[in-house]
Formats: sequence, C-alpha cells, structure tokens
Amino acid sequence: MPTVAMTPHLYHFFPVLENRKITLAAGSVVELLAAINEIAPGFTDYVLDDRGALRRHVNLSINNTMVVDRKKLTDHVPDDATLYIFQALSGG
Amino acid sequence: MDQHDANRYSRQIRLPSVGEHGQQSLLDARCLIIGMGGLGSPAAMYLAAAGVGQLVISDFDRVEDSNLQRQIAHRSVDIGEPKAISAKRTLEALNPRCRITAIDWQLDDEELADQVAKADVVLDCSDNFATRFALNRQAFQSGTPLVSGAAIRTEGQIATFLPQDGGPCYQCIYPGDLEGEESCALEGVLAPVVGVMGSMQALQALLVLLGRTAGLAGRLLLFDALAMEWQSVRVPRDEACPVCAGRKAVHDGD
Ligand SMILES: [Zn+2]
Repeated sequence: MPTVAMTPHLYHFFPVLENRKITLAAGSVVELLAAINEIAPGFTDYVLDDRGALRRHVNLSINNTMVVDRKKLTDHVPDDATLYIFQALSGG
Repeated sequence: MDQHDANRYSRQIRLPSVGEHGQQSLLDARCLIIGMGGLGSPAAMYLAAAGVGQLVISDFDRVEDSNLQRQIAHRSVDIGEPKAISAKRTLEALNPRCRITAIDWQLDDEELADQVAKADVVLDCSDNFATRFALNRQAFQSGTPLVSGAAIRTEGQIATFLPQDGGPCYQCIYPGDLEGEESCALEGVLAPVVGVMGSMQALQALLVLLGRTAGLAGRLLLFDALAMEWQSVRVPRDEACPVCAGRKAVHDGD
C-alpha cells in the first residue's frame, strides 16, 4: 500500500493527519487524495481548485518524482510508493 | 592570482574539485543576488568569503529591528539603513578585494534584464512570488543559471535552474500567478533555517561557477528542520511551460 507524507505545514491545518502513518490503497493520485479527504475532511479543497486540478502553489511527487498530470491527477501511485505533498514557499 | 589570494583561498584551492583553475573562475565571476534578507545575507557573505570577484546585491528595503534575528549581514547600528548599503559594508569588511555593487532601489524590468544578463549566476533570495517569476523569466531569456531559494517557519526549498542545459525552470514546478503568499513576518521563521538555505544557495552557486552542475540539474530539495530531513524531488520539464518549453540545450561548440 502506498504511503502518504506531506510538508509539515499541512499538519497545522489537518492535525488529524499528524503523527500517523497514512497508507492507502494503490490508485491514481486523485483517488488517493479523495481517500485522504475521508480522514481529513476539507483536504481536497485545500490542494485542489474548483475544477479538480492541483492548485498552483501545491505540488506532488511520487517516489520523489514530480507528478506529470496536474489537471486530472491521473498519475498512478503504485503499492510501494510514497506520495509526497508540498507547496511553494515565498519567504526569504 | 597573486600570493595574497593563493594564501587566502588555499583551503579551497587544495580541493581537487576547485584547484587554482577553479578558484580563478570564482575570482573572475560576477554574481547577482536579489534580496539581502535572511537568505541573501549568508549567501552573499559566503560568496564574498569564498572569493567571488564581483557581487551585485539588490534590495530596496531598510533594516528593521525585527530583521536582525536572522538577517546576519545587518547589525543593530544599521537599523533604518537601506539593506543593500548595510550589507555592502559587511561584505567589504569581510573581503575588501570583493567588488560589491549595491542597488538600493527597485529594479524595473529593463534594469533587471540587464543585471541578469551580465551575471554568471543569479541567486533568488527574494521574499515574494512576483519577483521569483520575473527572475525566472529573465534568467531563461538570457540563459543565466538561477539558484532559487525560499524559507519560512521551519522549512525551506532550493533548486538550481540551468537554461543552457535544457532543464526545467521555476515555472515548471509552480505554474504562474500563485495565490496564498506567506511572509516570515506573519508566519514566523526559525533563524538558522534561512541560514541553512542561504548557505546552500551559495554552495550551489559556487558549483555552477565551477562547472560542477551534474548534481543540481532537475532537482528540487525540500528541507524540514523539525524532522531534520531533506527530500530530493526530480523535476521534469513541463513541455507546455510558457517560459522554457521548446528551449534546446546549448553545448560548447554548437
Ligand atoms: Zn519551465
């Protein structure tokens, strides 16, 4: 089962996701995000826009490679993979 | 290189990856650093100390009390001074042979394009998305390598973009017009986090100047200070990217 991890700041908004190993059934990125939303309602609203595409300041990697399809999120997340969710930083 | 420089930079010259030839490349180099805050301070100080010949530093803000916790190029006596001027003093004291040009006004598009084109490498140490996208566009227009760093709270990101290698750009990672800008003023930042990221920017800039870019190409590094973890994400080029799509690699002799 794939593992989900994310930038620590997201735990601030979704504390229910912190300090636990999130493992979900393998599937497409959009399926995994929906499964996270079951655990943490509102999660998909935070990372996806109203058309279901990835918000511009959010990004995802599967096994440390950025996802290709930001619009429909069809990239497959295999069983042994880690899906990592991060966002743009502007501070300097 | 004279005896003074050979002695001053001896610990670097000793490295097979640098040598006299590499150190001479640093002495001959010109770096543009946008932002003299938390990232720009350590980045500029390390580049000056390491013997980069010319630094152009740009910031139109003034030093405030609340900057001093992390913006180490400035001191208490500099409060109220333009950051570019304050940092210039620090850098000149650190290495009098390093030529420092301080720009304490907001560069317009034309001035920015000119400065980026004149530089051998550009460091994005800015604190806003508009500057990040503008610098990325200019870097790819002129083919200048860009070391982009960001830090806030207890996290940081860094990536070097190499237009001449046909690699990805900042906009391949984050499509333009970003919403949800965050600032260290509102969100907070743990002081050494910007030090880690700014120092890493200086290091990547030196690797660019030394021609050692194999480890930099197409990589985004994410730093989580609380977990003490780095992640390395491979960044493919977005074939529809409005900034870099269609750009071919430029090789010596082409
Ligand atoms: Zn691009």
